[in-house]
Amino acid sequence: MSVAGLERRRQLVTAGLGTALTLVMGLVLIVGFRLATHMRAEVTALQAASTLQTYPEEISHQLNTLRDRLEVRAYSGKALADLQETVKHFDQELKALDATRDVDSPQLGRALLLWHEYGPVLDPVVTFSGQPYLDTDSGGSNLSREGREHYAQVKRAQLFAADNAHALQAQLSSLASTLQQSASQAATRLRGLLAAGVLAALVLAAAAGYFQFTRARHERAARDAQEQTRDILKTVREGFFLLDANYRIGSVWSEALARMFGRSDFAGLSFEELLKNLVTPATLATATKYIKLLWGDRAHENLMKSINPLGQLEITMDNGHGSKETRYLQFDFHRVMGPEGIKHVLCSVGDITSSVLLARELQDQQENANQQLDMMLGMLHVDPLQLVSFLDTAETGLKLVNAILKEPARSDAEFRKKLTGLFRELHSIKGEASALNLKSIASRVHALEDMVSECKKRPELTGSDFLPLVLKLDELLAHLRSVREMAARLTDMKDSPVTAPAAVPAVPAAPAARTPAAAEAPRPRAVEDMTPTLQAMADRLAADHAKRFRLSMHGLADVPGPYNATIKDCLIQMLRNSAVHGVESPQVRRDSAKDEAGAVRVEFRRTADGYELLFEDDGAGIAVESLKAAAVKKQLISEEEASLLDTRSTMALIFRPGFSTQDDVSMDAGRGVGMDVVARSVYALGGKIGVSTHPGKYTRFKIVLPAVDSASSAVA
Amino acid sequence: MKLNAAPVNGKRSYKLMIVDDSNIMRRRIERSQQFEELELVGTAGNGEEALDLFRRTDPDVVTMDLTMPRMDGIECIGRLVELKPAVRILVISALADKATAVEAMEKGANGFLNKPFTDRQLNEAIAELMR
Repeated sequence: MSVAGLERRRQLVTAGLGTALTLVMGLVLIVGFRLATHMRAEVTALQAASTLQTYPEEISHQLNTLRDRLEVRAYSGKALADLQETVKHFDQELKALDATRDVDSPQLGRALLLWHEYGPVLDPVVTFSGQPYLDTDSGGSNLSREGREHYAQVKRAQLFAADNAHALQAQLSSLASTLQQSASQAATRLRGLLAAGVLAALVLAAAAGYFQFTRARHERAARDAQEQTRDILKTVREGFFLLDANYRIGSVWSEALARMFGRSDFAGLSFEELLKNLVTPATLATATKYIKLLWGDRAHENLMKSINPLGQLEITMDNGHGSKETRYLQFDFHRVMGPEGIKHVLCSVGDITSSVLLARELQDQQENANQQLDMMLGMLHVDPLQLVSFLDTAETGLKLVNAILKEPARSDAEFRKKLTGLFRELHSIKGEASALNLKSIASRVHALEDMVSECKKRPELTGSDFLPLVLKLDELLAHLRSVREMAARLTDMKDSPVTAPAAVPAVPAAPAARTPAAAEAPRPRAVEDMTPTLQAMADRLAADHAKRFRLSMHGLADVPGPYNATIKDCLIQMLRNSAVHGVESPQVRRDSAKDEAGAVRVEFRRTADGYELLFEDDGAGIAVESLKAAAVKKQLISEEEASLLDTRSTMALIFRPGFSTQDDVSMDAGRGVGMDVVARSVYALGGKIGVSTHPGKYTRFKIVLPAVDSASSAVA
Repeated sequence: MKLNAAPVNGKRSYKLMIVDDSNIMRRRIERSQQFEELELVGTAGNGEEALDLFRRTDPDVVTMDLTMPRMDGIECIGRLVELKPAVRILVISALADKATAVEAMEKGANGFLNKPFTDRQLNEAIAELMR
């Protein structure tokens, strides 16, 4: 049986017992009262009977006195008066006793009968009022005629009294004893009744005590249960509350709710108000409809669970520190049934933020793993030597990026300078990654470049604008490390002697040396053949830009170690330039009576005092006027300056930072970073760069580098 | 609310209508359901057709697609329930968002099944619907 049922039964028993005992007590009291009344009458009668039984003897005695008086002719008035008084009292009291209904005994009847005979005999005596004596001088005092008659009446009364007074007294005495017996019995009955009453009172008290005790026990149990409920509600991690038929929250709810919603005024709050400022209006509308459906008779629990729109509710709320926080709550609803249908809807709310985030993280990791797999498959096509070389270069570049980020800067101009520097380095890394078809790296660097571009657009720059860049850079470095690890594994599989160098820390302790060549210096490795890289890049560029190339390379095997990276960077950049600006589309080339495939020629050779690199394409050449126009557009020079520039100075524009003739930003060109990177790295090695062009015919870059020893000294 | 249907051969029999704009899906539902007491009275490819068929055949159980040409499922549910409040409607839809399901339930649907579904899921949903 339920707790409520037990309680109800207990209450019924208490009430029944109380009523029964009250009835018993009432009955006892009524009967007792009647008994006492009866007893009182008996006692009065007894008293009367006791008094009455002395009268007959008294009457006899007074008759004697009266006769004696009359005989000696003494004064008889007093004796007669006494007799009169006694007879009158006796008659009155006997009649009064008879009038008492309670006393109905044969003795009284017989006494009355006797008195009825006695009375008429006494009557003439007590009614006498004449003069009994007649005084004469001769004879003294003699009885008068009336006196003699009176005397005779007294004697007759005396005679009657002698015969019957005793009997009358005996009857009255017997009546008295009967009455006494009866009174005594009544007293016994009353005592018994009172004892029963006391017993009943004791039972009542005991019952009351017992029920008080059990009630106290129940109350204690109820209090304990209440306290346990409170403890549960205080400790449980889920939010619990009941909704009534008006969709309002009940007065009992778990404290977790307060933590989740940052409020504590839940009692009486409607469900709609609870969610109002936390979710979108559309979600709120759906949630409200859903809650209403829960009260309908069509809503099976399973069905309702399956369409619960609040299974993973994203809410945004203040975190108490002035900023917004996104959390995920899971609402579950259970209908609480009463005898007349749905009584409440129990709502439980769990904070599933961590599991949602974990699930996302897992998904990210899964995607990451898939990407890694893709990358690994991609890397299988890349020569391990090339890959390692690229990773070294990229790392060096990123170290430089990191160093640029760490450079102290205060003014807006300084920040912008930093951005430009970052851009150049990233661009160069991206170029090489693209060349090797390492899409995962190229896309990441591209994203970082985008962020830098975004920064550049801001009207005013502060140090905090660079924080996201640092985070992104860390991510990129981590990615490079994983690529390197994978490369090492691949290399192991291919049983190559190449080993993976140690991973680079995200933030190096000291800024790396400025030039890739110098950065490479402490890490001796096998001389790389850059020909396949460039060939792969040319193929990719051709595919990406719908152009055709015929790349011929000579003498690249002779590139000395210290120049390797720079030469490669320069060639990648120039190749991209050719792909985007130089070599025309096959259609245009056909129209210009050129071979559909653009010829790109690369030559490296040792000269008397150093080295010379020649890069030439038979593309559209560089139109001086469009160069000027682009420079003016990019606000690198004013229109006036442009008009004053000669061809040579105009050509030099392409080595200026920020220059680009391309409006669209692509992976290969358009950001205005490119040839200036080439120029800078050449200058850094103590070399020179020059460009010559013939519109419609060719573009030729010539890079002159000093001998290796002097280059090192130039760097140092 | 109990389904009312005339007993056939001592067994209760319910009239079934299938509404879906895809012919393949209609046949799939028809073939996959394993309830002997369900007797197919017709299939419809859109809401208007369904309404017309409903008036003529007075089905007890309806499976309803939501995205259909000419009168979508949600509206159709409302109209069918107006015509026959005791009708049992199982929404079978590719729309997985809970708001749509709640909307359909509000209009009077009795069950919800997401496409794609297995035969077992379909039969469970119909069993739940007829309970």
